Amino acid sequence: MKDILKAIGRAVFKTPLGFLVTLKYIFKKPVTLDYPRKKKPMAPRYRGKHYLERYDDGTERCVCCGLCAAACPADAIYMEPEENENGERRAKIYEINLLRCIFCGFCEEACPEEAIFLGQEYEFSNYDRNSFIYTKDEMLVPHPRKDNPFKRIIRRVRRVYGVEDTK
Amino acid sequence: MADKQNPETGGQATVTLTIDGLTVTVPRGYTVLEAARSIGINIPTFCWHPKLKPVGACRICYVEIEKFPKLQVSCATVAMDGMVVHTNTDQVKNGRRAVLEFILLNHPLDCPTCDKGGECDLQNLTFAHGLDDSRFAFQKYRFVDDDMTTTFDDKRIGPEIILNRNRCILCYKCVRANKEAFGEYDLGAYERGNITEINAAPGRQVANPFSGNLVEICPVGALTNTDWRYKIRVWLTKTTPSICNFSSSGTNILFYKEDHKNKIYRVTSRRNDDIDDGWLADITRYSYQVITSDERLIKPLIKKEGKQVPATWEEALEVIKKRLNEIKDKKGGVCIGGLASPSLDNASLYSFAKFLRRTFNSNKLDYRQDYRMLPKDTANNYSILASQPFKIAGIDDSDVIVTFATDLLREHQNEYLRVRKAFNFKKARIFVANPYAVKTADVAELEMVYKVGTDEIFINAVCLAALEENLVACPDRADLKKKIKPSSLKDAAEQCGVAPETIKIMARALAEGKKVTFIAGELLTRCRDREIIASALCNLNRLFGLNRKGQIAVLARYANSMGAVKLGISPEPVPALKKELEKIWSGLPDTEAYNTDTMLVHMKKEEINGFIIMGANPVMLYPDREFVKESLEKLDFLVVCDLYETETTALADVVLPLAGWAEYAGDYINLEGCRQHAEQALKPRFEAYPGYEILEMIADKFEKKLFSSTEERESEIDRLLKVDTTLPWPDGFVEVKTAEIEIEKDYPLALFLCDDPHHCGHLTEKANSLVNFCGEAYIEMAEEQARAYNLNEGDSVRLESPIGKIIVPLKISEHLDNQVVLVPRNFTSHPVTSLLMRKRRIDWVRISKVAE
Ligand code: SF4
Ligand code: SF4
Ligand code: SF4
Ligand code: FES
Repeated sequence: MKDILKAIGRAVFKTPLGFLVTLKYIFKKPVTLDYPRKKKPMAPRYRGKHYLERYDDGTERCVCCGLCAAACPADAIYMEPEENENGERRAKIYEINLLRCIFCGFCEEACPEEAIFLGQEYEFSNYDRNSFIYTKDEMLVPHPRKDNPFKRIIRRVRRVYGVEDTK
Repeated sequence: MADKQNPETGGQATVTLTIDGLTVTVPRGYTVLEAARSIGINIPTFCWHPKLKPVGACRICYVEIEKFPKLQVSCATVAMDGMVVHTNTDQVKNGRRAVLEFILLNHPLDCPTCDKGGECDLQNLTFAHGLDDSRFAFQKYRFVDDDMTTTFDDKRIGPEIILNRNRCILCYKCVRANKEAFGEYDLGAYERGNITEINAAPGRQVANPFSGNLVEICPVGALTNTDWRYKIRVWLTKTTPSICNFSSSGTNILFYKEDHKNKIYRVTSRRNDDIDDGWLADITRYSYQVITSDERLIKPLIKKEGKQVPATWEEALEVIKKRLNEIKDKKGGVCIGGLASPSLDNASLYSFAKFLRRTFNSNKLDYRQDYRMLPKDTANNYSILASQPFKIAGIDDSDVIVTFATDLLREHQNEYLRVRKAFNFKKARIFVANPYAVKTADVAELEMVYKVGTDEIFINAVCLAALEENLVACPDRADLKKKIKPSSLKDAAEQCGVAPETIKIMARALAEGKKVTFIAGELLTRCRDREIIASALCNLNRLFGLNRKGQIAVLARYANSMGAVKLGISPEPVPALKKELEKIWSGLPDTEAYNTDTMLVHMKKEEINGFIIMGANPVMLYPDREFVKESLEKLDFLVVCDLYETETTALADVVLPLAGWAEYAGDYINLEGCRQHAEQALKPRFEAYPGYEILEMIADKFEKKLFSSTEERESEIDRLLKVDTTLPWPDGFVEVKTAEIEIEKDYPLALFLCDDPHHCGHLTEKANSLVNFCGEAYIEMAEEQARAYNLNEGDSVRLESPIGKIIVPLKISEHLDNQVVLVPRNFTSHPVTSLLMRKRRIDWVRISKVAE
C-alpha cells in the first residue's frame, strides 16, 4: 500500500521535472536538420560521389589506364579502353559500382592523370540495383560549384610534378 | 676441374669464375651475364636477348669485375677463368641508377596510356633501381612527324605495328632481331645522338611474317600492335599455355585471356629451345582471332527443302542417325566415309577413325585434303621418307643444310628461322633447290632453280655428280647408274637446267658435310609424282649416307599431320600400327580402303553415299574444285563440322559447329613426333563442341559408345603412340621412273599454289590482323615476266587454265625469276583450285591483262 502511494507521489511531482529538460531545448538551436529541404554542408575533404574531370579544352582527363581499378580495394571500378578520333586512349566504358564502393578515395589517390575525384554528394538511393552502376556519362558532368575545387588540386599536383597540362 | 680439351679453342672447354662469392663453372664462350643467370643471380638487362648476338647498347647490366678499372657490361663480357665479379656493390648500384636516369631523360613517362604498362622492363627496373626524381631540367626531346597518326606521337609503321619513338630506349633489339633472326630489312635505326630513331625503312612498311616478335621483344612500349592496342591491362588477364594450330612445328604459345568475358586478347611466345627459340610467326600470333571472331557458326544447321536452317543439337543428331542408318541399311556401312582435318587434336582424330571403322566397318577415311593422287598405304618410298625421324633443333648444329622442293617461308616458318640461325651462328653451308626462287636463298651458298617438273632429275644429277667425281664410298654405288635416267651428269644437268659445276659443288658439300640436314617440303608432297621424286631421294640418301650423318625428311605440313599418321587416320595405316589397332579393338574391318582421292571418285559414281567431314574444307583446298563439288553434290548425306560456314558446309545436309583449338584441351604431335599438350583457354563459344565430343554424341545415337571413359580413350591413344611408325629404308638403290609431263599448248606458265606467308589453310582469312597484312589473293610473278606482258604492280590479271579462269591483282615478286606464277590459296574470294586438274603434275596457265 505504502509502495503504491510512493509511486503515485513520484509520478505527480517528478514528471514535470523531466518535462523541464524538454522545455529547456525548445529555446535552444536544434541539432537536427530539415532534411531533405535543407542539407548539411560537408567537410571539405568529405568523400562522396565520384567526378571525372576534363581538360580546359573539354577532352576527358581519364585515359582509362586502369590504375584506379587496380587500387580499388572493393573492386568497384570496371573499364574498357578505346581509341578516340585522334588515336588517343580514352575510356569506352567506365563504371563504378556504388554498392561496392567504400568511398576510401584510393582511386583518386592512384590516378596519374588527376582525372577522378570524390565529390561531396552522398545521396544514393534508387529503385533497383542496376542504377547504382554509375556510368562514365554520369561522372563526366561539370562540378556543381562554379569554382570547381578540383581544378585547384589539379594545379597544385601538377606544380609538384613540375609539369604543365598540355591541353 | 675436368681437363677436357676443346680442339677449337685449344684450351679448356670450361671456365671457372666467382660471382658474388659463388664459384661457377660454365662452358667457354659464356658471357658473365649468362654465367650469373646460370646460378640464379639476376642482372637486369634491356638490350640483351638470349637468341641474338650481344651489343652492349643499354648498359643497364653493369657489373664490377675486379682488376677492371671501370664497370663492365656483363652481357657483352666473356667470362674468363679466375674472374671475380660483383653484381651488387654500391658502385654497380650507382651505375645502374645513372643509366636509368640517362635513359629516362627523354622518356615521356606516359605509362598511363602505354600498352606496355604493367609488363614494361623500364617501369620495373626504375622501380627496382632508379631514382624517384630526375635532375634533367630541360625540355624533353619529342619526335614529331607530319604523318603522325595520333597526338600521342604514335606512328603506324606497318599493318599491325605502331611505333612511338619517344618511348624508345634504343636498345636495338627490334632492329637486330629483324636482321639477324628474320633476315628482314624493313626496320632500321636512323640519325644519331639525341635524335636517333627507330623507323620503318624509307617508303616501306614493317610487314614481314615475323613482325609480331618485334612488339614482343621491345622492352618498352615503343613498338605496340593493333591487336593488343587499348584492349585490356595485362594484369587483368590470365595465361594459358597452348600450341599453335597453324604450324606443324607445334610452336609453344601463351594465350592471354579474360575468364569473365571468355575472350582471348593476345598470344605471346613460350620459349622452347627445342622447337621455336621463342620466335613466333605472325600466323601463330594472330590466328587466335579465328576463334574469337563473331562470324563463327552459332548453331547446328539442317538442310530443309534446299535451305540450311538453324536447329538444335538434338534435332541435328537425330537427322544424322536417321539418314546414316538408312544408308547403312540400304547399301551397307562401307558406303560411308570421312575426311578429318590434320589440325584436329589426337582425341578427335582417333575418335573419328574409331567411329568410322567400328560403327560402319568402313576403311574409307583420310586426313589429307589438299594433295592430289595420294598413296593409299605406306608401302612406298614417299611414306618411308615422310616417316623418318627429324629434330628441329638438329638444324642448328648441321654444317650442311639442303632445302629441296620447299618454300620454307611460306610453309615452315619456324624451320626457316632455324636455317637462318644455322647460317648466322654456325656458318652452315646452305643449298636451296626449288623449281622457283625462294627467300631462303638469302642465306644460301648456292641457289639452284631447276626446271619445273624435273625434281627427280635434279636429284639424280646430284647422285651422278657424286659418282662421276668419286665423292662417296657407298659400296654398291655402281648399281645406281642402272636405276636412274639419264645416266650422265651432263645430260641430267641439261634436262633440269642447272649448271653441272653447281651440282658438283652441292654434291661435294653433301659428301663432306659432317652433319647434314636435308629438308623436303610441300612441293614434293603435293606433287602427283611424289613417289618418283621420293625414290630419287632414297637413292640420294643411300649414296651419301645422309640419315646416318644427319637427317633427311619430308616435313609434315599441319599441326597434327604426324598425329594423324601415328593414330592411323589414313585408309591403310602402317603395318605395325594396324597390328596394335587390331589388338585394341579386337579386330579391324577388312573392307576396301580408300583415300581422299578414291573416295571422291567413288562418290561421283554414287558408290559412297554418306560422308562426314570434320574441320576440313576440300572444296577450297583440293586441287580440282569442280571435281570435289560435283562429287560431294552426288552424296545422299553429308555432315560437315567446322568453325565457320565454308564452301564445303554450303553443300552439307547437316552442319555442326566445331569448337576451336583454344576451346578444349588436346594433344598434338609436331613434325618431329613430339607430343605436346594444349590446355583449354576458353569455354566453347556459342553452341560449339570439340570434335571428340561431337563424335561421342553421334556414336551414342548409334548405341555404340566409342569409349567408356576419357581414361580409356587416352590409354588407347597412349598405346598407339608407343608404336614405332618409322619405316625401314629400301635395301639397295631403287628404280627411279621417268615421269610423263603433260605440256599444254598456249599455256606457257607453271602455276604453283602456295600459302601466303601470313596465312595457312582456309581459316586464317577470319583473323583480322592477318587480313591487315594480306587480305586478298594475288598472282606473284617475276618482274621480267610482268614486263613481257606489259603489266604493272596491282593490275588485274586474268589467269586461265584449260578448265577455268580467275581474275587476280598482280604482285611483282622480289625473288622469282622464271616462268612460274604463285597464287595463294587462302582466300574464298579467289577460288584458285578451280584452275587445277586432279591428275596433273604441272598446272599450266596463261595470263592476260584485264582491260580497264
Ligand atoms: S573510393 Fe575506394 S572503393 Fe570507391 S571506387 Fe574509389 S577506390 Fe574503389
Ligand atoms: S580515372 Fe585516372 S586512374 Fe582511373 S583509369 Fe582514368 S586516368 Fe586511370
Ligand atoms: S623500339 Fe623497342 S626494341 Fe626497338 S630499339 Fe626502341 S626500345 Fe628497343
Ligand atoms: S643488356 Fe648489357 S648492355 Fe644492354
